[in-house]
Parts: sequence; structure tokens; C-alpha cells
Amino acid sequence: MAANPSASARQHYEQILLDGIKDYAIFMLDPEGRVLSWNAGAARIKGYTSEEIMGRHFSCFFTEADRDRDIPGDLLRSTESSGRHDEQRTRVRKDGTHFLANLVLTAMRDPAGKLLGFSEISHDLSESKNSEARYRGLLEAAPDAMVVVNQAGDIVLLNLQAEKRFGYRRDELVGQPVKNIIPEGFAERLIADSLRSLDGALPQQIGNGIELTGRCRDGSEFPIEIMLSPLESAEGTLVTAAIRDITERKQAEEILLQKNDELRRSNAELEQFASVASHDLQEPLRMVASYTQLLARRYTGKLDADADEFIAFAVDGAARMQRLIRDLLSYSRVGSQGQAIVETSSEKALGQAIRNLRGAIDESGAVVSHDPLPVVQADETQLIQLFQNLVGNAIKYRGTGIPNVRISAARTGMTKWMFAFTDNGLGIDPQYFDKIFGMFQRLHKRDEFAGTGIGLAICKKIVERHGGNISVESQPGEGSTFRFPLTGS
Amino acid sequence: MPMYVLLIEDSPGDVRLTREVFRGAGRAIELAVATDGVEAMAYLRQQGAGAHRPDLILLDLNLPRMDGREVLAQIKADDNLRTIPTVILTTSEAEVDIVQSYELQANCYLSKPVQLEAFEVLVKSINDFWLTKAKLPQHKAGA
Repeated sequence: MAANPSASARQHYEQILLDGIKDYAIFMLDPEGRVLSWNAGAARIKGYTSEEIMGRHFSCFFTEADRDRDIPGDLLRSTESSGRHDEQRTRVRKDGTHFLANLVLTAMRDPAGKLLGFSEISHDLSESKNSEARYRGLLEAAPDAMVVVNQAGDIVLLNLQAEKRFGYRRDELVGQPVKNIIPEGFAERLIADSLRSLDGALPQQIGNGIELTGRCRDGSEFPIEIMLSPLESAEGTLVTAAIRDITERKQAEEILLQKNDELRRSNAELEQFASVASHDLQEPLRMVASYTQLLARRYTGKLDADADEFIAFAVDGAARMQRLIRDLLSYSRVGSQGQAIVETSSEKALGQAIRNLRGAIDESGAVVSHDPLPVVQADETQLIQLFQNLVGNAIKYRGTGIPNVRISAARTGMTKWMFAFTDNGLGIDPQYFDKIFGMFQRLHKRDEFAGTGIGLAICKKIVERHGGNISVESQPGEGSTFRFPLTGS
Repeated sequence: MPMYVLLIEDSPGDVRLTREVFRGAGRAIELAVATDGVEAMAYLRQQGAGAHRPDLILLDLNLPRMDGREVLAQIKADDNLRTIPTVILTTSEAEVDIVQSYELQANCYLSKPVQLEAFEVLVKSINDFWLTKAKLPQHKAGA
């Protein structure tokens, strides 16, 4: 190298040096703001080649709004008077895109103080080479509290959410053991983590949140869920912990569990109530029924006509109450004494129901026919009862002709079947569709049809216990179709 | 010669009803009544005046003071009493009561039907079987 190189040679060397700097735009402006020099970093960041930009006014690096307000001129005047201007400002690339730049403008003067021009050194903040700074941006954007921990279990980085949630200032936590804010088990987890390969650790940790307790500066604790993920860095493997405050979720879960528990208890109580009430009511009722029957037997025709009538009503009332209690008991048993739901042949269950109804079928001459029926998931005893109640109703509420009951099952899904019981009976007015499935709901007078009106309520409860709903389609005089789904196998 | 039956039952309605139905059974039955377990055991151990050793005991399970299960256990643990057929006659149809009664050596378990006619049939069959057909051990009082 020459001891005293010429001015042009020096300028050449300087340009080589400047071009070596790719991350910063470094260029000169004349006193009016026109570009005099251009380095490789400027070309890369701003998108103009040296040939394109030389001689152009630097206001083209500013947004239109800034240009309208003559910000470029203000900046130059301010730099001229103060010597140096330092700021962050949105800049515009050649392609029109914006970026946030950190820029330093410096006024250059000759030894006599005459303004020669300006230099600008700027860089694109969004592409900061510093990966920690980039990572920091990512941390701050996260909705959860985040801390980055090294293998010694010390906190090396944290975000604002972590500061706020744990009640510490940043400088009070950096360098401190993570155990201070997450007391149990966490450090061990980290050590285990650092022993695991990056590839293995990632999927495992992302998959399951670990539920722990977080401890605030004031000693208060709150439930947290942590997701860990390893982070390779110059300092070795670090672990990023995303810490989610799950206080609200825990509370919601607890409330849900509590409500569930209450519901279960109230259901159990209700069933127990029905059962106990029925059993305990039976006792005094047995007395009333037995003694009114005894009265009727010994004294009918020996007192007067009124007495006979009164006794008859008492006997009838007691007998009816006995049936109600018996039916209430069998209704409550659907829930309380159900058997396991297992694979059951619905065809066999129907066969049993038909055998149980043999008397009514023979007496009425009813024709009961069915399609091939599937194997379903059911409590067999209840399935028989369901079928028996439906076929029994079809025969009981028959029209003038011979009762005809048709049972079919249509596949509605991979394992779903819709059963249909269709009859040619009296039919039901649609306004009563809801009512007929209620407990002790009857559509007919007692002297027309016997029974308490529990049959369809039991059907409904059985179908519900099997995870479905029973419905009816009918018109008076046109028969009825009862439908309900069952799960096949 | 009348048959002696001890009915251990706390409900006066049931006592009377049983008495009425036995009356129609067409044979001489001396029905003694104890209304709780303590009274029953006192009677059986001849502590009461005029007590007669029964040929058959009809025992309700739910009784005040000492319940039917305890009475049954004491009868079957007593060398003098355990040969007396003890029939459980109760409203309970619970499986647990049935099993427990037989475990305690009850001779038979019957549940009281709700209908009067059915109760009459039941009492008649007790009479026909336990008091007529069944051969019961002879016990000589004071022997």
C-alpha cells in the first residue's frame, strides 16, 4: 500500500470498505440532499442500484406523507444546524414497500466550516441481524407469559406478559432460577429436556401441556400450563417455556365438575325418592286396599246402596293407586336398575316381547310382522320392555279392523339403525305428540282403556338411556308410527 | 289340637289382617302376637305369662327395638328354639334381604302381596304346607 495514496485511490479503498458492509446503507448527500455515493448495503436495503440513484434527491426514500410535509428538507436543515440527527422512521424501498429504519444523518463540513453535504447511515430494523432481538420481538408478540431458560435452570429472557403475570420487573428475574416462579418439578424437567435430542423433544413437548403452579412475587400462586420447546443458540440449547395462566379454565372445570356432581346427585336422589316413595307408600296403601276389600266382601248388600257405592269407590281408588305406584316403581327402575348395555339381538328381543303379549295377540287376532332386525347395543331386558310396550299399545289402541303391527329397522349410518313400529290403530292427534310421552299422561277416559299412562314414558326413558329419542308420526284414524334409533355393532 | 303360631309384626293393621285371614283358614290356630323383637324373644324364652311354644313363627324383618334379622339370628342360635320353623313374612322384595334371611337359616321367605286375595292365598298355603303337610318336630313342654 502506498504511504500517501492519491485522493481517488483513497476514495476507491473507502468504497471497497463500505461495500463490505451489507447490513447498513451508507451514502453521501450533497448540501441539497442529492445522492453522491452508494454502498452495497444501500443497494440491498433500498433496492436501487448505484447508477439508478446517483444524483437523485434522497426524498425518494421517504413516504409520500413525509414528502408532502417536506420532512426530508426539515431533516437536512435540522442536521445542518445540530451536526447530527438520529431517529427511527418509516422508509420506502424502490418497489414502494415500507420498512422501519434506524438512521443517522451527519453534516459534513470542510475545515473552514463550509457545508459539504451529509452522510446517512441507516439499517432496516425489521431484519435485525441480532437473532436475540428478533426472538425478543416474537416473545413480546406472544399472548402467554414466556421465559427462556438455560440449562442451569436460570432465566435468560422473558416477555412483558411474564413480568406482568408474575409481578416482577424484568431485571429482577433475568439471571434468577426459574424455580423462583415455577416451584415444583420444572427444573428436573428442563434437565431431562436438555438430554433429549432436539428432534425428539419438540413433538413430545408441544403435544402435552404440563400442569404446574406459578408463584408471583407476592407469594400468591396460580395454576399454569407449560409448553416447552428447545431453542438452539450460541449459548447452547435453551428452553423456551410458554406459560399459560389457566386459573379461569380451572375454575370453569371445577364449576363444571361441581355441576355434574350436583346433577348426578340430584338424579340419584330423584330415583331413590321415587323408589322409596313407592315402597313406603305401598305399606299404608296395602292397609287401605285390604281393609276396603274386606269391608266390601263382608258388608256389601248389608248396609244401604250409598254405603255400597262409597265402598266401591274406595276399593277402586285404592286399586288404581296401587297400579300408579307399581308403574312409578318400574319407571324409576329404568334408570336405577338398568343392566349393562351389550350386543343384543333385537330380533330375539322382539320375539320375547311377542311371546309375553301372546294373550293380547291371540285375543285380538293381531298380526305382528317384522323385517330381519339387527344386533344392537342394548340392555336386553329394557329392549324387550320397549318392544312389548309399543306392540302392546298398538294392539290396545286398535281401530275397528284386525290390528296389524309392522316392525322395521333401516340403516342410517355405519352403526346407526332407525327402528319403526307402524300400526293401523286409532292414531293420535298431532297436538298430543308431546303429551303422550309424559308420565301418567292419558288421552282416553279410564272406562275406555285401562292403564295409568306410564307405558310410553317408560319407552322414552329406555330409548334415552340408549342414547336416542323416540318420536311419533300419526293422524287420527290412520295409525301411528313410533321411531327411535339404536346403535348397531 | 290347635296349632300355635307366633306372629312377630309391629303393624296392628297387618296383625288384624293376618288374624282375619287365618280365621277363614278353617282350622284351629292359636295366634300369638309380639310387636317387636324384644317382646318376641321374651315370649319365646317363656318369660311372658301364658306363653306357649309355637309350632311356627311368622317373622317380619322391619321391627322396632330389635329387628327381624336379629330375632332370626337369636332363634337359630338357641338350642331350644332353632327347630321351630321360622318363616319370614315381609313387604321387602329386596334380594339382599332374601339372601341374608336364608343365610341366617330362615326356613322360608315370603313377601306380602299387595292384593287382599293374593294375601289370602298366601296365608292359605302357609296353613296347607307348614301347618298341615309338613311334619314338625314334637316338643314336650317342660320335658
